[in-house]
Amino acid sequence: MALAAQFLLRIPQLGSKNINFPSYKHRGNYQPLFLSCNYSTNDNCSSSSSSSSSKNYLELTDDELLRGCEIDTYKSSGPGGQHRNKRESAVRLKHVPTGVIAQPAEDRSQHKNHALALSRLRTLLALKVRSSVTLDAYSPPPQLLQILPPKSTIRSSEVGPQIGPNNPKFALGMQALLDLIFAVEGSVSEAAKLLGLSTGALSRLILSDDSLRMAVNEFRTSKGMKPLK
Amino acid sequence: MTFRRKVYVRFIRSNSIHHTPEKMRVSLTRACRFYTSPITPKPSFFSPRAILNQPFSSSSSSSSHSSTPKPKTPLFLKPPKYSATLSDLKKWHNWAKALASSVRSTFADSDNGPDSSILFRELNWLVEDSLEDPSLIPQLGFQNNSQSVRLRIGLDELYGLWKQRIEKRKPFQYLVGCEHWRDLVLSVEEGVFIPRPETELMVDLVSDVLVRDNDGLRDGFWVDLGTGSGAIAIGIARVLGSKGSIIAVDLNPLAAAVAAFNAQRYGLQDIIEIRQGSWFGKLKDVEGKLSGVVSNPPYIPSDHISGLQAEVGKHEPRLALDGGVDGLDYLLHLCNGTASMLKPGGFFAFETNGEKQCKFLKNYLENDSACSFCNVSIVSDFAGIQRFVTGFRQ
Repeated sequence: MALAAQFLLRIPQLGSKNINFPSYKHRGNYQPLFLSCNYSTNDNCSSSSSSSSSKNYLELTDDELLRGCEIDTYKSSGPGGQHRNKRESAVRLKHVPTGVIAQPAEDRSQHKNHALALSRLRTLLALKVRSSVTLDAYSPPPQLLQILPPKSTIRSSEVGPQIGPNNPKFALGMQALLDLIFAVEGSVSEAAKLLGLSTGALSRLILSDDSLRMAVNEFRTSKGMKPLK
Repeated sequence: MTFRRKVYVRFIRSNSIHHTPEKMRVSLTRACRFYTSPITPKPSFFSPRAILNQPFSSSSSSSSHSSTPKPKTPLFLKPPKYSATLSDLKKWHNWAKALASSVRSTFADSDNGPDSSILFRELNWLVEDSLEDPSLIPQLGFQNNSQSVRLRIGLDELYGLWKQRIEKRKPFQYLVGCEHWRDLVLSVEEGVFIPRPETELMVDLVSDVLVRDNDGLRDGFWVDLGTGSGAIAIGIARVLGSKGSIIAVDLNPLAAAVAAFNAQRYGLQDIIEIRQGSWFGKLKDVEGKLSGVVSNPPYIPSDHISGLQAEVGKHEPRLALDGGVDGLDYLLHLCNGTASMLKPGGFFAFETNGEKQCKFLKNYLENDSACSFCNVSIVSDFAGIQRFVTGFRQ
């Protein structure tokens, strides 16, 4: 995987799209970005399968995703290379279309810093970028079905084994689940019904991943509901 | 995590080869297999693997040779034969943290060395490598915990190590005996150059060339000159094709031994051949046949050596750093030698000190009277500094 090289060679190329998104404060309160297909260059939209849902950045390959990113690495003063023995080579990715910034904790190798930044960006995009969901005749996308426990009544055996939070594909399912929870205004019981699960089972799924739990709870709190515990 | 566990399994395997008498025989048989077995077909000179398996390469792969230095085992691979209570470990940790705090920005101000925050990070990594079970690290936060933990190093040695880190400015990598580089964990020790994060990109440059390759570079011979810990050679060995191989050259016998240790730990001893020697000196047999030449040679101008941060200038081998008056001595030697070593279409990549050297070398290579090279380019590192010169043999 020629990850590091891509980081160097790809200059953000999405600037020409002129997509206006709400400004996003990274460390502030939870302000989900709602994406909808109201911008003119809708080539991005055509790829998404069902409903009015928007472009799904998480479906992009690493390479494609990086093309939409500004990459900052720590700019060292001085000549670097053999001169220097100092690990401050953190990588910061800014996803230009959404403004989402990923800066993971530092790993011991530069190569892994890149990979970590990218996977962190995918998680953040799943958490922060919302697509609208039509609740009439709702049918969950396959990525969401994959993260549901097998006891879900709408989950057929063809979906395969349940995907957990450590699987890179979990982010896609998590994103679709959050889209649904936002659509039902934070009601876990209502979302559970649509997913063929008991409220308890869906709560357990939400609580199984820290970032997912925090995103749901932040949203519930903003709606005046009690956080899940 | 998974990766480190995998490494440990590998270690058990390679370590047992070194230490148990029974396995030792296996190892020797294995080393001699290519030279003595009558069943082995006569090597064809044009098959890379066959050349690597010829007798002249034997000195590198076997650790049984008495004059070959024996590399030290990195901390994270040492057996956890020590123990301490969590509260004693905590006591050490508090002491080490206080020592790191006291540094503040004094090193950074004096020679661009590490500040306290970087030292804290290194301290965490030291704990990570010392504990048999790094998942216990969060428990270091609790006082008065009499639970005993298993360590790969004695507590008294940990005090000594951290003292050397702060007082002697000994590089962190020499304390723990390893460096994380790309997805590898490479053994390093005093006397061997610590591979730099900038150089990680060298493997990507080669990998990109191999992806576009239609000249059989993937299955040919490659050479890493001045290999040090073997970092570049190991990185490249893992992206080569099934018939490709790489010769890793270093003048320093200790570096050659460490590179061999690292290559073996990743199971690459049949793909990487270590040769102890100077630059092209021991490569007559592959002249004009190479698919690629890569190197991170010493490139620091001599008069910069005294101003280097102490970790580098006072502890790393000068042989691996000092590139002569303008830092170009070895880079020019490489440029001059590479034309006759590469086969047509062969690739080269050299790391340099930065923009000035890159531009000089690009110009030098493009104006070569024999027009040996084409597509000479400059590639920047992750910090945006022009770092590499690459190109192809016409």
